[in-house]
Amino acid sequence: MLTELITQYNEALIDTDRDRALQVVHDAVARGVSPEAIVFEVVLPAMDRMITCMTVSGDASIAQHFITAQISNTVTNEMLTRFAVPSETRGRIVIGNSFGDLHALGKRIVIGCLRARMIEVVDLGLNVTAEQFVEGALEHGSPIIAISSMMVHTARGPNGCLGVRRILQERGLEDRIKVIVGGAPYRFDHTLWQTVKADAWADNAMAGARMVEDMLLGVPR
Amino acid sequence: MTTSMDRLAAAIHGTPCDRIPVFCNLIDQGAIEMGMKPQEYFSRGDCVAEAQLRMLAKYGHDNVWTLFYVGKEAELMGCDKIKFALDGPPNVENFVIRSWEDIPGLRVPDDIESHPSFAEGARCTAILRREVGGKVPICAYVTATMTLPAILMGMDRWMELLFLGPPELTAMLLEKCHELFVKEIRAYRRAGADVLVYSNPFGSTDMVPMNFFLERSLPWIERDIAAVGTAGIVYYCGMASMNRVISRVLERTGIGVYYLSPLDDITRGRELIAGRALTCGVINDIELIDWSPEQIEHEVERMIAAGKPGGKFLFGTGVMPAAIPEPSIRAMMNAALRFGRHEVTAS
Repeated sequence: MLTELITQYNEALIDTDRDRALQVVHDAVARGVSPEAIVFEVVLPAMDRMITCMTVSGDASIAQHFITAQISNTVTNEMLTRFAVPSETRGRIVIGNSFGDLHALGKRIVIGCLRARMIEVVDLGLNVTAEQFVEGALEHGSPIIAISSMMVHTARGPNGCLGVRRILQERGLEDRIKVIVGGAPYRFDHTLWQTVKADAWADNAMAGARMVEDMLLGVPR
Repeated sequence: MTTSMDRLAAAIHGTPCDRIPVFCNLIDQGAIEMGMKPQEYFSRGDCVAEAQLRMLAKYGHDNVWTLFYVGKEAELMGCDKIKFALDGPPNVENFVIRSWEDIPGLRVPDDIESHPSFAEGARCTAILRREVGGKVPICAYVTATMTLPAILMGMDRWMELLFLGPPELTAMLLEKCHELFVKEIRAYRRAGADVLVYSNPFGSTDMVPMNFFLERSLPWIERDIAAVGTAGIVYYCGMASMNRVISRVLERTGIGVYYLSPLDDITRGRELIAGRALTCGVINDIELIDWSPEQIEHEVERMIAAGKPGGKFLFGTGVMPAAIPEPSIRAMMNAALRFGRHEVTAS
């Protein structure tokens, strides 16, 4: 039964059909599939499968990525309330768009993916200054600052990741807070994350969310 | 003397010429070139034209631009706030569509040529026409119907509406965007633009799944092009790849120029086009920021070696980021002019 469920759910994601994906999940729960199985054997593996599609075969589009993130987030939130034993959060991070950047799409995809992986996310919004990123991380106890940039100048500028790095250095916070980056410019230049002095980057939001999970859980990368 | 327009025409028709055309899209550099603050620079079409002409003289490429910034199209539809930056392009700060309820009231201006937001662009175009018209291709940028809503409401909100929202509202918005698209193309043609870059990230399977492209994007591409014709139209997916869709777009629309992404393989793009249209190979101008002169030369040589044999090839850039150092632009141009030269038989 699970194999068929996985197939139907994945097909709905590929077709960017949210209603069908949710119906597949609800039907499965009604048939007795546990909420834990839905999350750990259907939703999260589907996200991993999407990573493979994006990074290896190039068969997944940004729209599929976006819709999958929204669906995964919705399903996980719903299933968490039905877990036999309440699941603990895997950690908390702050995220925002770099200073001057008003493009929300990438950040929203990442947030959906993170929440689907049971990671708390504090959204600092668009056009976030370097100071706001650091203050946000300290205020919310986040060991990770995630910075999304759609444009070259907001990725490379002194008020983006470079500014966050400078503040972390000045305040001796580099051991406590790591910085990850993502967005279009990084996909065109795979060394840009080093240029802007980030600790890591991911090619797409699904992979980014998995990387954050690994970092929070202390899994060596 | 061979002009840039001659080179473009020769490349399109596959006829002999001195070298391949080289398009270098210098938009964000204009204010810096003129020593002006962006907000002031972009408010004056004469300054934008002057910057284009100065940079043309400086670098020796084969095109000039009437594009100020992409948000100009949102201004035509009522956008009242643009965020300017010293080191990058201006961006829409206030979206025209803030909720789905705004869509029915959205109005396309009857006469966009008299709209204040278009007037400076027309002024710029007129100056370029006077100075280099007929010799250097004048480029205009127009967003495709399927992509235009992203500028009006944000890419994420547009995806939500497109994939999850009421179909009748999506259809209504697309009809309005199509109306603006047609008016823009006609206005730019009347103003004197030669090359009309049809920008359509939603016409790439990087952005939407193939089945969606075939069922939704492609019909709108057909409708856009049927309404305005193919003259001067360049298919461009906003740096997203297009090799997977080129054949279908070409066969269904007859568009004659394809401006690839740096993510596209040039050789494969040429195979797909198979001499039926002009292939434009595009350098990765984000990596160009940090490349050494040797890396630049090597990459330009590689690209031109892949594209030039057999003709019908143009070397181009994306929307060059302002962070690219001038010497790197010169190195790229020098290499493109050198490697792009055709062997001319002595008479």
